[in-house]
Amino acid sequence: MGSEVVDLVGLCIEAACRSPAAVEKWRRQRRSLERLPSPLAEALLHRLLHRGLLQPSLLEVFKSSVESIDLRGLSSVDAEWIAYLGAFKYLCSLNISDCHKITNSALWPLAGLTSLKELDLSRCARVTDTGFTYLLTLPNIQKLWISETGLTALAITRLSSFKDLSLLDLGGLPVTDQALSSLQVLKKLQYLDLWGTDISDKGASFLKSFPKLTFVNLAWTNVTKLPSLPFLASLNMSNCLINSIFEEDGDGFALRNLIFSGATFTSASEPFLLLNTSSVLHLDLSGVLLHDFSFLCDMRALTHLDLSSSVIKDDSIEVVRSAGANLRNLNLSNTKVTSFGVQLLAGYVPCLESICLANTHIDDTSIYYLSMIPALKSIDLSKTCVKGYKHHPGSEPVWLLSDLQTLAALESMDLQGTQVIDEALLPLLGCKKLDCLLLRSASLTDMFLHHLSALPRLTVVGFRDAVLTNSGLQAFRPPVTLKSLDLRGCWLLTEDAMHNFCKSYPHIEVRHELLQMVPSNSYKNPTTRASPVKHKKERAALALARAVKDSFIDQRLKYGRDELLSLQASVLPLELPPDADFLRNNLTK
Amino acid sequence: MKKEESVKLISAEGFEFVIDKKAAMVSQTIRNMLTSPGSFAETQHREVTFPEISTTILEKVCQYFYWSLQFASGKETEFHIEPELTLELMMAANYLHT
Repeated sequence: MGSEVVDLVGLCIEAACRSPAAVEKWRRQRRSLERLPSPLAEALLHRLLHRGLLQPSLLEVFKSSVESIDLRGLSSVDAEWIAYLGAFKYLCSLNISDCHKITNSALWPLAGLTSLKELDLSRCARVTDTGFTYLLTLPNIQKLWISETGLTALAITRLSSFKDLSLLDLGGLPVTDQALSSLQVLKKLQYLDLWGTDISDKGASFLKSFPKLTFVNLAWTNVTKLPSLPFLASLNMSNCLINSIFEEDGDGFALRNLIFSGATFTSASEPFLLLNTSSVLHLDLSGVLLHDFSFLCDMRALTHLDLSSSVIKDDSIEVVRSAGANLRNLNLSNTKVTSFGVQLLAGYVPCLESICLANTHIDDTSIYYLSMIPALKSIDLSKTCVKGYKHHPGSEPVWLLSDLQTLAALESMDLQGTQVIDEALLPLLGCKKLDCLLLRSASLTDMFLHHLSALPRLTVVGFRDAVLTNSGLQAFRPPVTLKSLDLRGCWLLTEDAMHNFCKSYPHIEVRHELLQMVPSNSYKNPTTRASPVKHKKERAALALARAVKDSFIDQRLKYGRDELLSLQASVLPLELPPDADFLRNNLTK
Repeated sequence: MKKEESVKLISAEGFEFVIDKKAAMVSQTIRNMLTSPGSFAETQHREVTFPEISTTILEKVCQYFYWSLQFASGKETEFHIEPELTLELMMAANYLHT
């Protein structure tokens, strides 16, 4: 059906936003603009925004049609924009998070906007208590995000006048126990975010007076004791020192998500003793110092389990597998788990789709056991001793990755920082659903890159630190689906060769130290509400990326001129693993 | 064009557009009107009146129906929309579920 291919509404919006001249043709059609249904008006407005065609004065034409506006992260949004928005008769939802030009006085036009129900001011750091007084005239606010603004505890006590609040994000604000106690009148509150605030156990005890509370975030606070909250479904106490959760036996039947990453349990023997954990779906215990994981036995509904950077060893895997019936996602990275642990899991996790074993003690024998987990879609074996082959002197090498061909659903494979070689990877070409393959090894050459043309669904390829030559790249025929090719650390490539490749395949985003990175979509902004944990992780990831980038040394330094000249024509692997002498012999024959 | 294979679309000003039933069915709304089991006048007379859609817009909508059929059969041409028609056409398209 043609209507399914390109719908007329979409074509109209495209035509309306084609150029500033096109906008001039319709912006004076006042009666049409007033009749525009709000979903259409919003689609048009956000498309204009995306195309950079939305000036504050153009906002005026949407004043009687638009109900919801998302301006997050736009550095241009200032008092003038808000002045126009103040005239929007039906505005229900406004997101101006991360708009750093928003000041106290900029908020004044919002005063008295009775239709407004949702307001996101997160990280508008220039908004202080003065600006907050204008917001007190918004009687119908139901959802309010004010994390990391300049508000003080005094302003927070005054939030008690917003009787309809169901969601309140106070992350990173100086919320004291006293301030929280004055919010106890907010009986409709369901979602309360208090990460990084000043509240302690006394403040946490007030949480009991919110009868409908289903979501609480107490990460990075001094709370050690959480009272029983009967309807709580989601709890985040990461980086807290935890004494007890809930007061009575069997509480917590509604619990679904538990995040304790980086938390410390004082009664280390049984942290979930009082908790009814039979309905928990997501459990994050990354970086937690727990030695006894027997509590996992009761968590039969678990779908996501994160035990990364914990002290878990193979002997606790039996407990993990007793909670394995519904497990979809398991993260064991940075632990002491070995291939024996994987062997224990195989056969007990029928639904497991994603497993992360990065930086563990597993070796090649784990591959066979992984092939016995039938639903696997994503496998991360990066930074392990996996080689992908076995070779006894005097016999033919055995290519172990061929076992993975039995995994019909396999889509993503990460083998970065392993000792795989070209030949060992060839069996992966039989995994026809593979769409993401990440490799990083000095043993990779042109040969394997060329074979990647045979994978029909490949969209993301990492081919880092490889001995990839200019002619090798030139001869590469990428699968049509390929969108991203990471060639960082491929030190033999020249800028010209990569530019030629980019010219031939403009739809592929190529990464390399010699190429300037252009953000593919400058409008895109973080869509999730940031918490400090996330911030920290992101910052750490950025720092890591930077460190990796800085550590890239032109590897020509490592070799003499003569060696380099001889390498230029060769496509042989440069650095074979030490125990791969047989291969070198085979190849030179 | 045989009578049973065509439908008549009537604009706000009373202009009549006779088009292939197949083309008109690109619109989910018209499809429902023509195929619903009840005794809609539309189903019986193969006529639909749109008191909210002007002649200019209805003409453009009909052009889109035919373009859309061609597009679906693999003929990928551009469907040009004059910027001054975009708002009204958008609303008509929204109403017609097309």
